[in-house]
Amino acid sequence: MTDIGLPLDSHESGILRDLVRQMRALLKESESEDPVHKRLFPSASEDNEDSESFRDMTSGDLTSMKLAALDVVDEAVGRRDKGITTLSQEEGEAWVRALTDMRLAIGTRLEVTEETMSVEPEPDDPAAAPLQILHWLGWLQESIIDQMAP
Amino acid sequence: MQQPTIAPDTTRESEADEVVEADRPWLVIVWNDPINLMSYVTYVLQTLFGYSYEKANRLMLDVHHKGRAVVSSGPREKAEMDCFRLHSYGLWATLTKSD
Repeated sequence: MTDIGLPLDSHESGILRDLVRQMRALLKESESEDPVHKRLFPSASEDNEDSESFRDMTSGDLTSMKLAALDVVDEAVGRRDKGITTLSQEEGEAWVRALTDMRLAIGTRLEVTEETMSVEPEPDDPAAAPLQILHWLGWLQESIIDQMAP
Repeated sequence: MQQPTIAPDTTRESEADEVVEADRPWLVIVWNDPINLMSYVTYVLQTLFGYSYEKANRLMLDVHHKGRAVVSSGPREKAEMDCFRLHSYGLWATLTKSD
């Protein structure tokens, strides 16, 4: 199967490394009242008891999978050659999951809506820079998916 | 993966109500969220459930326009596993017992 190529410059690789670091810290907290934590570990049922038992049953495995995907990003980001980072298909699958978690964390923190996601932010909006990163991560994700074997 | 049959024949007469209960399928629902890209949701449904692009895309559009869609169903254990896999891909999924 063919490899996946991503154009990443050193600045962009640095952003990804920093996000990996922040996501690891976030996943190691057990602060369940944080909206970001709630979004990454969503309630599986409207029934509180069912929801709690599902969480008890799955949160350990879910955390391990998320941390493992971050490790794959961290490892591959260091392999940049002539501005291109090459991923195997398997690594690409871990990347799209890790990029999703980063996007969910940033988007939930910014309290984005369908509307704020679809319009260009004002340059003096303090959310402009993180929103730009959110969209860039989405672009990277689509670029990986486009190169995944069906 | 073949799902095991839950209800053994021997209980069918004496515990009729429980058997009906166990046979009621559970539904796995994906809810709309403003962050995940439409193309990503389609990709996840294809990858996890082996759905064709057309089917996955139609379910994604239901999620987008109607706010939610049932993406899979089955015995409770299968539904829980599907819900867990969707969470591992960052989709907002819940379980409910079918009426």
